[in-house]
Amino acid sequence: MPQLFNAATNSYARGSLMAFASLPVLAILVGMTLSRHSPNTRQNIPLEQPVPFSHKHHTIELGIDCRYCHTSVETAADAGMPSTETCMSCHQHIWTNSPLLDPVRQSYAENKPIVWTQLNKVPEFVYFNHSVHINKGVSCNQCHGAIQDMQIAYKSRTLFMSWCLECHREPEKYMYADPANKELSPREQVFNLYVKYQKDASRHSLSGMEMNLIKGAEQHALSTKEGRELVKARGIKKEQLTDCWICHR
Amino acid sequence: MNNTRGQFDLAAVREKLAGKSGRAYWRSLEEVAETPEFQAWVDDEFPNRNSLMQVDRRSLLKYMGASMMLAGLAGCRSLRLPPAKLVPYVNRPEEMVSGEKLYFATGYTLQGITDGIIVESNYGRPTKIEGNPKHPFSGGSSTSLMQASILDLYDPDRSKTPAKDNVPNDWVAFLGEARAWVADAAKKGGQGLAVLVPTVGSPSVMAELETIKRKYPNMVIASWEPAHRDRVYKGAAQSFGKPLETVYNLAQAKVVLSIASDFMSAGPGSLKYAREWAQSRNVDGDPAGMSRLYSVESTPTTTGAIADHRLALGAMGVRGFIQALAARIGVPAANASQVAGDAAVWLEAVAQDLEANNGASVVIPGEDLDADSISLCHSINQTLGANGKLVNHHSPVTWMAGGQEESLERLLASDISTLFILGGNPVFNAPASRKFGEFLKKAKHSVHLSPYLDETSRSSQWHLPESHALESWGDGQALDGTTTIIQPLIDPLYDTKSMLETLREVFGDGGDPGDNLKASWAKNGLSDKAWRSALNDGVVPNSKNPAAAVVAGMPGAQSPQDLGDGELEILFRADPTIFDGRFANNGWLQELPKPLTTMTWDNTVQVSPKLAEKLGIVSGDLVKVTTHVGDVTGGAWVLPGQAENTITIHYGYGQDWGDSLIAAGTGFNAYKIWNGSPVMMGSIAKSDGKIALASTQMHHYLEGRDIVREMELDALLHPHEGEHAEGEHHRDISMYPDPDKEFPYDGPKWGMTIDLNVCIGCHACVTACQAENNIAVVGKDQVLKGREMHWIRVDRYYGTKGIGEVSGKVKPTRADLDNPTTHLMPVTCMHCEAAPCEPVCPVAATVHSKEGLNQMVYNRCVGTRYCSNNCPYKVRRFNFLNYNDRKFSDFKIDGHNSSRDLRVRLMVNNPEVTVRGRGVMEKCTYCVQRINAARIHAKNAAAKGQREKPDPMDGEIVTACQQACPTGAIAFGNIADESSRISRLKKMPRNYSLLEELNTHNRTTYLTKLRNPNKEVEPA
Repeated sequence: MPQLFNAATNSYARGSLMAFASLPVLAILVGMTLSRHSPNTRQNIPLEQPVPFSHKHHTIELGIDCRYCHTSVETAADAGMPSTETCMSCHQHIWTNSPLLDPVRQSYAENKPIVWTQLNKVPEFVYFNHSVHINKGVSCNQCHGAIQDMQIAYKSRTLFMSWCLECHREPEKYMYADPANKELSPREQVFNLYVKYQKDASRHSLSGMEMNLIKGAEQHALSTKEGRELVKARGIKKEQLTDCWICHR
Repeated sequence: MNNTRGQFDLAAVREKLAGKSGRAYWRSLEEVAETPEFQAWVDDEFPNRNSLMQVDRRSLLKYMGASMMLAGLAGCRSLRLPPAKLVPYVNRPEEMVSGEKLYFATGYTLQGITDGIIVESNYGRPTKIEGNPKHPFSGGSSTSLMQASILDLYDPDRSKTPAKDNVPNDWVAFLGEARAWVADAAKKGGQGLAVLVPTVGSPSVMAELETIKRKYPNMVIASWEPAHRDRVYKGAAQSFGKPLETVYNLAQAKVVLSIASDFMSAGPGSLKYAREWAQSRNVDGDPAGMSRLYSVESTPTTTGAIADHRLALGAMGVRGFIQALAARIGVPAANASQVAGDAAVWLEAVAQDLEANNGASVVIPGEDLDADSISLCHSINQTLGANGKLVNHHSPVTWMAGGQEESLERLLASDISTLFILGGNPVFNAPASRKFGEFLKKAKHSVHLSPYLDETSRSSQWHLPESHALESWGDGQALDGTTTIIQPLIDPLYDTKSMLETLREVFGDGGDPGDNLKASWAKNGLSDKAWRSALNDGVVPNSKNPAAAVVAGMPGAQSPQDLGDGELEILFRADPTIFDGRFANNGWLQELPKPLTTMTWDNTVQVSPKLAEKLGIVSGDLVKVTTHVGDVTGGAWVLPGQAENTITIHYGYGQDWGDSLIAAGTGFNAYKIWNGSPVMMGSIAKSDGKIALASTQMHHYLEGRDIVREMELDALLHPHEGEHAEGEHHRDISMYPDPDKEFPYDGPKWGMTIDLNVCIGCHACVTACQAENNIAVVGKDQVLKGREMHWIRVDRYYGTKGIGEVSGKVKPTRADLDNPTTHLMPVTCMHCEAAPCEPVCPVAATVHSKEGLNQMVYNRCVGTRYCSNNCPYKVRRFNFLNYNDRKFSDFKIDGHNSSRDLRVRLMVNNPEVTVRGRGVMEKCTYCVQRINAARIHAKNAAAKGQREKPDPMDGEIVTACQQACPTGAIAFGNIADESSRISRLKKMPRNYSLLEELNTHNRTTYLTKLRNPNKEVEPA
């Protein structure tokens, strides 16, 4: 009687045992990988909004400052979402019949707020403050990517804690100051870059590093030597930035 | 402790105390008796839990397996949360910045007296009450009751709609009926109509009532509440011929004698008196000018606890003491009585001290004394030259000053067909002897305005829901007449109206309450601009009543008091936390330990140790108290310092209006045996059974180590060699890493000092912390297990008399069970530089910040509780259950099911602080949210070139406890800054660190309590 199982069966048995044993590990690995990728984090996915608002059109094409709508970005924890009234300050004069703006007009007429979908949300345990980041010269693009070039806004960064810590551990790698306008305060540096970018049709006056920053590339803005000087000049207490209670409380 | 309370012999306690030599401090009788139950409590970090050993092996494995599985599942809360929504305004209000707090000045009214408050508002939702620093009378501090009143706004039990015969109805129907009744009665000048209001101090309400009185001359208008202040006004009327408010100015006082008065913690004016008394203790400046405080009282109060000398006398004894003192000082008193024994020595010494400081000494009578005694005290103060200086008199600020008791009698004697009860809860809290419930039944129409569907509402034809003070317009006056406009922070959450609105709707023209108020103040000469600034500041300018120049007349004959029969005096007092019962449904106040008994969730029958010995009872035994009105059974509490044959009962508990979430099932109803007098005669008998009393006195016990420190003023002024060891700082070798080397940092280092010399144990800090840091209420069953969550607690120690060692000489100490010295000590996280909690955490959930804060990171915490076990100060609190999501029905031992929407109570939470869930350790953060806010403000200002250094300046950060403290006992700041106030305080010789020998290098330190004893009272 021939043998029921040939020699290779041993390997199959071992293999399947090993596969079985490694299944939970694999499952966890797959789960972890999936949870860190854009379908779950919604990174780089434009979400549906009640009004297809274009940041690109309003900022770069029309030259409206970020702070026209996000009024409290320099002074408060929240950047502030514009009220319907802010939209209507222009749109009662222009595009008054555009069907795309129906929700805005409706909101204004009925006194009911527009409900936007939030893109960038940190967990409840994180107490993020916009004003202090702006006042220390952290560009909007560091966290929001090339927001000024977006037709429909999307989340550009994962907003994982490890991502926050990259800058909180080594802020010198993310510091920027216009070499031509060193006298500007860190806060003015942030907005100056957009003015430069917006004015400059050929885009040639921006340095490569500035282009990287404005295009939202996740890489170092300046050489670390200059960065360290900026960290010092701006009074950033690097050692304090990794205290838990700086962000959590 | 209490459900494990064993029987022990009080005589043995007495013996053991007598055997103690030197300084000794103790927290409870059980501790001195060293009962086995006490030892078990101390030995177990988390007592009263089921031991793991009680679970058999199989079940244990089952639970372990299940926990592991569930632990894995807990990680998968949701792989993908639905996207959040952003909802901006349509028209953003000018002052509203997303995420920024707004602050509004308004007023808080208790007993008809209004103090200034500032209310914090988050997105239009009031979240915290603090004192208004611009209010000249109450100042910037606050009381626990003031702070906690905000929780009532979000009480899920609040009545939401009017009800007729206990069936929901509406205001339109009510107003239709009520106006018809009034129109009907108007034909006879209001005959048969009656209005009953609680104590009213609002000028607008008073004006409205005056108008109504003129319009309907035959109508009966009465004003009554249990804690009315008739006796104060009557006492003044006896002395000065008219009722007056008495206001004390203690800042310059040298000698203060408090007679049965808790002037620093209770009653209107307590915030001012506490602040000024602390100034008179004056130790920040010149210690030699420190004032002296005597207290003679029947039942221990916080004022008695911090007094330099305290004498315990029964109520009649106190009366006799006042008469004897008056005679001794030279007031021609009609019947000077004799004071014998120790009290006579005491009296003579006090009288000499008072006379020696003529012009800087004052006697403060308690508001629960009889009018004769208060009048006599006015005469004493006049003789002492205090009138016009330390004592001022102003015209009364409440309606029917001195006539409330009579007005209630008048009402009860009248034939009433329509009765409007606008506030209060008289069916519950009118003295049983008055039989208010029967009176109410006789009225054809009865209406009750109340925040809850309570006893009175249920017995009335109509119930009307009352607005919270933070939802309504109004006004009120402080004791000296300083007027505050009460402005709403939020539209009424439900279909409610205030008393003023209801009066105007029923008897007047109605209209918008805000417009009405503004118009009536415009008539009083408040221009539009002045109105706005009054709203902004919280004070109507120049509204203080001028001090009346009055001279006390000859005191009349002291009429004997008729107190009824019985061998014991029974004192009736408003509860220190839930007051007359109005806060019975307020979780913060129910769980706030009462200052001296440390009792939560219950009232007790307070008996002296001697009486307890005689009756053979210990704390927790049920006793029956009988007066001529009736009898009631409650748990006894043996309270050292209580006068021997006097028992004290606090009223307000024992409410029974159905399925209230918090109030139901707590305490016993003292109103049932009351006739309205603060003192009655009665008897007490041991009853069968025991009650579990949730007292916190033994929780977080530090095993009798050297905790409280006190010294005599003499020792501070004339230090001897080696006596200042307490102020020295050791840097001994330690098993923990040297913090200076471990964390080199050149920024601010936060630190705190708590001055035990001026801490009066009022517990305002505890409530302030609870409100600021979203601290959960855990319920009586959990407090019994020692699981209360307060981040700051006030420990109460009893101590020996005498200090043991003064000026190098050993002085005998006297342990006294019946009248021990009492010490109060707030304890919170010490923020140790070498913190024992940190190295034992397996997941680094508690670590140090560069600024020296001992950080607790909730998201890392896995709940091993090692940190709490290793904390020498017992300041860490663990969330054994999901307290914030806990159903209210779980709060009491006899729970019940409830279907109401509880989400509304989440609205009180501070959005700047994480709400903790189950299985997480928490503790004092030094209000890190306030530090961060100040730090970011400083950084932003520095970046804009508005200031030089990006660090908060001294005084910019005020922690919640510090803000609330009426005496300024808590200081906070940057100890790296040599010029800061905190650095100055920490350099004082009185500065000491708790358990310094542990080398934990505490950032929170204490300033030794100073005693300023009179050698004549306690001869060396």
